[in-house]
Amino acid sequence: MATWILAVSCLVGAQDKPQQDHPSVNQDSLVIQDFEKRTNDYVKLRKTAQSGLQVPKSKSSASSIKEYQQSLAQNIRSQRSQARPGDIFTPPIGEVFRRLLAGTFKSGDGRKVRASLRGAAPVHGLALQVNEEYPKTSALQSTPPTLLSDLPRLPPDLQYRIVDRELVLMDAAANLVVDFLPDALPVPKNAR
Amino acid sequence: MHVEAMRNRISIFFFVCLALCGCAVRTASENPPATTASTQNIAAGLRLPLKPRSVRFAVIGDSGTGDRAQYELAQEMEAYRQVVGFTFVLMLGDNIYGGDHPRDFVRKFEEPYKPLLDAGVNFYASLGNHDNPNESHYKLFNMGGNRYYSFKKNEVAFFVLDSTYMGPEQISWLEQQLQNSSANWKICYFHHPLFSDAKFHGPDLDLRSVLMPLFQKYGVNLVLSGHEHVYERLKPQNDIYYFILGNSGQLRYHNLRASDEVRVGFDADRSFMVVEIDGDQLFFQTVSRTGSMIDSGILLRQGKPPSRAKAGQ
Repeated sequence: MATWILAVSCLVGAQDKPQQDHPSVNQDSLVIQDFEKRTNDYVKLRKTAQSGLQVPKSKSSASSIKEYQQSLAQNIRSQRSQARPGDIFTPPIGEVFRRLLAGTFKSGDGRKVRASLRGAAPVHGLALQVNEEYPKTSALQSTPPTLLSDLPRLPPDLQYRIVDRELVLMDAAANLVVDFLPDALPVPKNAR
Repeated sequence: MHVEAMRNRISIFFFVCLALCGCAVRTASENPPATTASTQNIAAGLRLPLKPRSVRFAVIGDSGTGDRAQYELAQEMEAYRQVVGFTFVLMLGDNIYGGDHPRDFVRKFEEPYKPLLDAGVNFYASLGNHDNPNESHYKLFNMGGNRYYSFKKNEVAFFVLDSTYMGPEQISWLEQQLQNSSANWKICYFHHPLFSDAKFHGPDLDLRSVLMPLFQKYGVNLVLSGHEHVYERLKPQNDIYYFILGNSGQLRYHNLRASDEVRVGFDADRSFMVVEIDGDQLFFQTVSRTGSMIDSGILLRQGKPPSRAKAGQ
């Protein structure tokens, strides 16, 4: 879907600037590929971090779930001790993501996406840090389905979450912030 | 003469009082089950027919506070279980608020619902925005390690969704599941409501635009949600019944706005719902923490003429 939107937006743009059409498509595709490679690299690292841990089965106790979550988070932290914001959302990736999100909000779905974000217990004022846990006392802002369908697909262990206007890449099972993209969502019209 | 009559009446009054007190003392000294009186009341006010081989369950939402009100509602649920004999409970999300330590699971789930759990009642949870996604592995939530899943009880199929993260994979899964289901009743439940007249959150419009076409296409009968800390029975939308029950632990007092879309609303205390499905009929009764009946009725399975619903009796 994301690739499709990128392709369409580039084709639309192509009517104005035919000379720059194909390079832009290729460039964006390459950027998305780079994003997918980075998330896949994370998944590989995560598998290593997971090895040796007792992965919760379908009928686990609360204590074994907690133990697994903490151990997994700790192992990932150790293996990504040098991780910094922007390791996955690099500036070029961030630019493409911002464009994708802006497209969603400008589209016919934008109004209902905004309404969903407002109604789904928005989370504000969290000081996000890569490799740190998402605060347990804070609710998880639900991510609107339209927005998810417009962004590149993620491996099953990762999720897109929203905090204020930031797009957060979360490891759900480890409850860990993998990376985040500041100012990812366009400023609401009434806030300008 | 008049004075004499008065004396006699007073004597009779005191005699009756003493006799009643004696009865009360005697009853108490025999140590009957604590719920005897309430089960009698429940049975007297019950709106469920308790037909043999019917599917009976309870519904709670936004329950996991660990507060006294949650415990009191759980007691009322147990009293109803003794009468209704429901065998499982649907959880509409926000099952454990404010932490994911094992003690949170004890205080906010295992302890309040211990009588139900001890009686063999199974809970089937969906995830809310206050839940740790790892709750899907918790054995007493029966999610099988999945954020979204389905299960079936006789001719009733339940589709449990994770509305906090409704990605394309989940939508495809749901469509496949609904398409393949031949159940008489298809019930979907998840945390965020598609319709609501509560003031705090309101309906999730984006979720609605994605899910409602599927519900209509594949004949979903009933949709249950939480998130709003009130009870709402909404006017059927495109022939589908919608309920919100998000006040089984949390409560947002007086949060409902007047609306033609709400058939019955309740925002003054906690509540739960008991449901019985028998053939083409769904009987429901919504009960408050103090045992008051908030709402009840019969929903007819869609497509059955002449009139579909007799709710709100």
